Amino acid sequence: MTTRRDMLKWGAVLPALGTGWHGAFAAAPQGLDALVLDTRYPGALDLADASMPVWRFAGDVTPLWTGHLSARWKEPGHVLGGITGSDALFVLETLAEHRGRRVVSRLALDLPRVNGVQAYRWIIAPHHPSVTA
Amino acid sequence: MSVLPPDHDEAAFAAYVADLRGVVGDDWVWSGDNDMFPYRDSFSPVWNTPEEIQASSAVAPADVDQVQEVVRVAGRHRVPLHPISTGKNFGYGGPSPNVPGSTVLDLKRLDRVIEVNEARNYCLVEPGVSYFDLYQHIQQRGLKVMIDCPDPGWGSPVGNALDRGVGYTMPHFRDHFGAHCGMEVVLPDGELMRTGMGAMPGSGSWQEYPYGFGPDPAGLFAQGNFGVVTKMGFRLMPQPDYYRTGLIRVPRRRDLIKLVQHANYLSDAGMVSEIRYASPLSPLQRQPEFAALVTKMGGPSDAEMDAAAAAAGLHSWAIDLQFLGPEAATAAQWEYAKDRILSDIPRAEALDGDHFALPATEEQLENRTQPYPTAIRRKGALGVPSLGIWEIVRDDGHVGFFPVLPRDGEAVFEMQRVLGDASREYPLPPYFSAITAPLFWHSFTFQMVFAPSVRHADPEHNAMVHRAMKHMVAVAAEHGWGDYRAAPIYQDDVSASYSFNNHQLRRFLEAMKDAVDPDGIIAPGRGGVWPRRFRDRSRT
Repeated sequence: MTTRRDMLKWGAVLPALGTGWHGAFAAAPQGLDALVLDTRYPGALDLADASMPVWRFAGDVTPLWTGHLSARWKEPGHVLGGITGSDALFVLETLAEHRGRRVVSRLALDLPRVNGVQAYRWIIAPHHPSVTA
Repeated sequence: MSVLPPDHDEAAFAAYVADLRGVVGDDWVWSGDNDMFPYRDSFSPVWNTPEEIQASSAVAPADVDQVQEVVRVAGRHRVPLHPISTGKNFGYGGPSPNVPGSTVLDLKRLDRVIEVNEARNYCLVEPGVSYFDLYQHIQQRGLKVMIDCPDPGWGSPVGNALDRGVGYTMPHFRDHFGAHCGMEVVLPDGELMRTGMGAMPGSGSWQEYPYGFGPDPAGLFAQGNFGVVTKMGFRLMPQPDYYRTGLIRVPRRRDLIKLVQHANYLSDAGMVSEIRYASPLSPLQRQPEFAALVTKMGGPSDAEMDAAAAAAGLHSWAIDLQFLGPEAATAAQWEYAKDRILSDIPRAEALDGDHFALPATEEQLENRTQPYPTAIRRKGALGVPSLGIWEIVRDDGHVGFFPVLPRDGEAVFEMQRVLGDASREYPLPPYFSAITAPLFWHSFTFQMVFAPSVRHADPEHNAMVHRAMKHMVAVAAEHGWGDYRAAPIYQDDVSASYSFNNHQLRRFLEAMKDAVDPDGIIAPGRGGVWPRRFRDRSRT
């Protein structure tokens, strides 16, 4: 069950992690169910936390959606963290809102832009009672 | 900024929201800035300005009964509803309404695939079903039918068809409204209606014969505001055995005239899927001299363009052809297309493309096997939903003006020149130039695209884009070119351009609107059609 307290916790954790790649989610709280890494950004390939599934993609959210999130986000729970371009984050945020979830924290990272796209670190968590209970 | 419905104060709004909650429950009604953020048009060029049209609230009913009751509640409180299916209409207004303070009627919970019939090749779906959902339903059951989906595929067949969206397969499937067959509609008074054979109790042919008997009102619900569509049928293509591509390119600028005529024949005869037009000269735009040539006021001469093509050793135009069907038939159709065009246009060339049995492998879907550069997005071409198109979205999105023009080479040249000249005063990429190729999205006509980006943090840029959009709509109309689909903030401009006989079409539609929905409960202003209650304030 995802509580309001959980959302506040996840919302507060990102600013404390700084704006670089290394250790980006090393201090992530218990309860993060999976991590998404955008391989367009250098560093995404070697960053991983063995304690949770890590899904990598290269900007196109399609395999992430069809392979993982479409089914998981129909059910209650599932907190997702990610480091992606702003374009992929927009797509994921739009999909999340449709399934009662929200971006509870986002932080622009101090990384070189790729094709003009800014990298962000973010957490998407359940918000609507239909997926928090 | 919180918004109230028209003619409402806080107390009246609270009473209305309480009544909505009584229908759908507390969890499925939203208001306030945070909850309403997803219902704003994030691609709006008037983002965070007084012109931005924001809803007051949103409601998500669970079924058709609740939709009917929500419509009745809205009627009692005289609050406009703005129905959306999945709300992904980016570039055309997203989920945002035409009237500030409207309630977004979010139909996402009506998400049943009611039927997919592979023996008779149709489906019946609710508005909350996305293309991904429908595709998955078909794949999981191994059904031998192919959907036609737009790019991206997160929208719904119902919503996309009702905004006259398009896909990328055979002509009679990629016009999504044209491919619909039968609908169920909640009318402005809350009554439920079915069109076509659906109006006959016990009929088994609702998704096979769209007309039934007498006048068919189905067209009133596309880009319209005469009801809330709660079910819709669509014709589906039987899963083809085989897919084949081929490229034909022609050397001279004016070869486009004949090339279009041949392509029209191939398409209208049902031999080809979507045809992609392109100019092989496009890479030359990186050269300043060539870029200046193709964008110069009045346009370059044919001789100048032919000289530039010859100097670069490139052809002027190309068409990507796609064939779907039995393997032998696709081979025969490709041979026929080559013979037909190469025998008529001097120095035309043909390149054999990729070909394979369906369903395609992931590598084939990613289009890594085509032997030449191509504009074809293979997933869309084969009815596989994708989100990959997002790679072309820049800044904070874009607006879109897609003028319809005759399927004729001379008309292409004229639009290149006229809209090219009209757009030069704006510091934007050259959407119209002497190498701009037509889009062949809709089954029997061409379109071109003007889609400048918007930037939330740059209101001056957005204001320029807003001016440019209105200017382009007006200039196009002077030449008989009208937009096919528009965001709410441009729908009045576009509607006004369809003005034959003192706007008789609009006056006819508004007479009907006054008759069936005088208070404007269903999407007042959508498609430029206003009920009497809002007409004066919207046009002054």
